[in-house]
Amino acid sequence: MALSLEGHTTRAFDGDLSALHIQAVAMGALVIEQVQLAVNAYSNWDRSIATLVLERERKINLYDTEIEEAALQVIARRQPVAQDLRAVFAIDKVVTELERAADEAKKLALAVLAESDSSGFRPGAATAREARQLGRLASVMIRAAMEAFDHLDPVAAASVLQQDLEMDSEYAAALRRILTRAMEDARQVQAVIEAAFIMRSLERIGDHARNIAHHVGFIGGDADPSATGVLPASSVQVRN
Amino acid sequence: MESAVELTGVNVKPSARVSNDEVVLDAPIEAGKTVGNITVADPIFSCRDVDVYYGAKHAIKKVGIDVAKSQVLAMIGPSGCGKSTFLRCLNRMNDTIEGARVEGSILLDGKDIHDKKQDVVQLRARVGMVFQKPNPFPKSIYENVAYGPRIHGLAGDRVELDEIVHNSLQRAGLWEEVKDRLAHPGTSLSGGQQQRLCIARTIAVNPEVILMDEPCSALDPIATARIEDLMEELRQSYAIVIVTHSMQQAARVSQRTAYFHLGDLIEVGETDRIFTNPRHKLTEDYITGRFG
Repeated sequence: MALSLEGHTTRAFDGDLSALHIQAVAMGALVIEQVQLAVNAYSNWDRSIATLVLERERKINLYDTEIEEAALQVIARRQPVAQDLRAVFAIDKVVTELERAADEAKKLALAVLAESDSSGFRPGAATAREARQLGRLASVMIRAAMEAFDHLDPVAAASVLQQDLEMDSEYAAALRRILTRAMEDARQVQAVIEAAFIMRSLERIGDHARNIAHHVGFIGGDADPSATGVLPASSVQVRN
Repeated sequence: MESAVELTGVNVKPSARVSNDEVVLDAPIEAGKTVGNITVADPIFSCRDVDVYYGAKHAIKKVGIDVAKSQVLAMIGPSGCGKSTFLRCLNRMNDTIEGARVEGSILLDGKDIHDKKQDVVQLRARVGMVFQKPNPFPKSIYENVAYGPRIHGLAGDRVELDEIVHNSLQRAGLWEEVKDRLAHPGTSLSGGQQQRLCIARTIAVNPEVILMDEPCSALDPIATARIEDLMEELRQSYAIVIVTHSMQQAARVSQRTAYFHLGDLIEVGETDRIFTNPRHKLTEDYITGRFG
């Protein structure tokens, strides 16, 4: 069954559900930009971009509040059931994931703003490269998840789950590399600890993208995204 | 500032939409091929291959379904789908309609209700019915409830009859409201009270099953809530089958839901699942308001 939020006899219901969906997609576009800006701010140690990330954070929180209110209204006025009910639930959860992904991006910006006056924790070229690489993966994942959400496409969503496996191994490898640098030069320890937190944040953004993909599958009626047949059940992990 | 941002532009090719055809069926089903489990462990009613014809019109097509004890089964579907016709098969109310013909097997506690030896009056005492519009007899409240037990000889004397009337009104949640005016006409009560009087009248003859044909469609929300509350209590002792146009009501009161469409029983399932994840597209379209 193709997923569609439209086709109700009451066309106003179509409008309410679509408006909710579109708002969440718009919020997603903003969050993708936030992630890219934050990675840029960190890897180029750019205080002005970091400031911009913090400024835009307010917009994201506003989306979060507005979409939650709109979802409540749809439930109260339309009493959605079946796919419509799953969609409203999933949209609300997607918004929570987006908000948390944006929080991780904010952590990168805060690291730049807190430390840019001192020279201590600025990442070296190699660490900046690691951050750029993980940041690129995180952006790709969240973009793919939001594309799947935009088209309500559970098959595309399942491919994000595959990307998450790649992210996990990249994260583990990057962590190993920066820890090796700390072992080689004890003066690097503080910078490396800071970098490890940054990488953890980027990996978490990937996790939020994976959860968004999971919610798209849920709208399609899958309790388990592996049920789409794209991934073997053993390769799908659900984390918080 | 935005231009300073390194965009990791990635185009995700829109993939083919998922086709859940393995689990969700789009096309109307073949008659008698209902989606979901039509059987229950310990059925009070067991219906198989039931066809109903009104003259040349084939109103119900090869419907098979069990009715479980101590459960509310809700039958939903658009007007003319056959849900009321099927309900009326269960206590042979269709016998009263000229030109109506019922085929197939309907077993009540394992015995065919169309058996020649089956006394229809007795059947309708075992399988009571509550209608859309409250229809109290033009008699007193007391007589409305006492009538059935009296003709079925359920009470030996006046004291026993009083007790049956009292218990029935109590179980129907009406006793406190009418105990001081049992001699008043049944028609003097409000719509909701009249409907509960009809329920008291039905349970006075100790039925095993109560059929309800849109019992709340003429009632306000408060009266509706009282009937729904009553159904939850009554299902401990009786099997209840309800036909309703209100999907919210079906979702609230029933444990199992059956969806009818143009005389076919399309899908049967636990109410929990039907309203969150129905398997047939027709069910999905109907309950989400996408029908037609």
